[in-house]
Amino acid sequence: MSLARAYLTSGLVPRLSPVSTSSVLRSIIISRRALSNSPCSHAQHAPHNHSDEPPVLKSRIEERMAEIHALQREGFRGGADYSVGPSALDKAVHLFFFTEIIRGMWVVLEQFFRPPYTIMYPFEKGPLSPRFRGEHALRRYPSGEERCIACKLCEAICPAQAITIESEARQDGSRKTTKYDIDMTKCIYCGFCAEACPVDAIVETQNQEFSTETREELLYNKEKLLSNGDRAEAEIAANLHADHLYR
Amino acid sequence: MSLWRTVRNLQRVGVREWWRQLQYIGDAKSGTLVGADQFGNRYFENRNGEEEVPGRHRWVDFVQHDFNATQVPPEWHSWLSHIRQDPPAADPVIQNLTPPWKAAWTENLTGTPGAYKSYNTVVPKINAWDPKVRPRV
Repeated sequence: MSLARAYLTSGLVPRLSPVSTSSVLRSIIISRRALSNSPCSHAQHAPHNHSDEPPVLKSRIEERMAEIHALQREGFRGGADYSVGPSALDKAVHLFFFTEIIRGMWVVLEQFFRPPYTIMYPFEKGPLSPRFRGEHALRRYPSGEERCIACKLCEAICPAQAITIESEARQDGSRKTTKYDIDMTKCIYCGFCAEACPVDAIVETQNQEFSTETREELLYNKEKLLSNGDRAEAEIAANLHADHLYR
Repeated sequence: MSLWRTVRNLQRVGVREWWRQLQYIGDAKSGTLVGADQFGNRYFENRNGEEEVPGRHRWVDFVQHDFNATQVPPEWHSWLSHIRQDPPAADPVIQNLTPPWKAAWTENLTGTPGAYKSYNTVVPKINAWDPKVRPRV
């Protein structure tokens, strides 16, 4: 007796014999099912009609109410047709044997025997573009002469105003910078400085691992930027070469 | 991790290398040794899509115990980040564009005495008042 009562409260009996239940109970039970019996709308987009007339908004309330009344007269109880599709027994089996959960767990079990997807940084790295914008560097010509001519275009275009340049003429008459400071805490890595540079002097390298422990170490001066360029010149030049068809 | 993959890579690379990989990379991998840089870091590649997921097919075995992503020099960094297809020794672009004045690579030295410290490269324009006493006549 207690078992039967437990079945009743758990809703097993109404589900196995849906004919004996009232329509209210049936609607509750049906609404609890998720995917197997949810009706699809088969909605279609209305064809576009490009007419020059301005659209006229009509409520059409009389027509729609007439349709509703006609459907009510025919005994229409909803959009779903329950004569086709899964039976109540099918739904009960899927519900009580946890088939969806077991299928989900099977997907997890399959992953256990597959090679893992996680990229194990820093041993493996995700792909980078030759146009990646990382730490800045000042380049040199192949002769070893520094490229920057102190035109200050990068300083002018910098949206974050992170670049400070001072310059003076050398003994040989060439104009070079004496101060080229980039505040890397201000920099937004937009790459405008590299685009503005007429001699490809300031570039952004592929190095993104220049994190520091103090804020002070991010205030780069000319020597730091030149040493960045000296260390990574081969990679910078190879990236510019890889991208030269698009520049 | 995949048990069968771990056992298979143990058979391929040997117990010693396998244990090192599990201690550092955290995953048993097997592939061809592409090369080593000037510091001794070894670079591997396995382009078999059944054995390594694409994106994980290139990896580095750091020589230092205290490993760091910046211990990879730039030429190998561009290979490891899948920017260049060929390793630096076999890449004519990298070989031709390496200048004779190329500086030695150092890793990120922040937190050590070798860390970069910013300084002014020009004479300061604003100086503190330095009072000088004119000698009495």
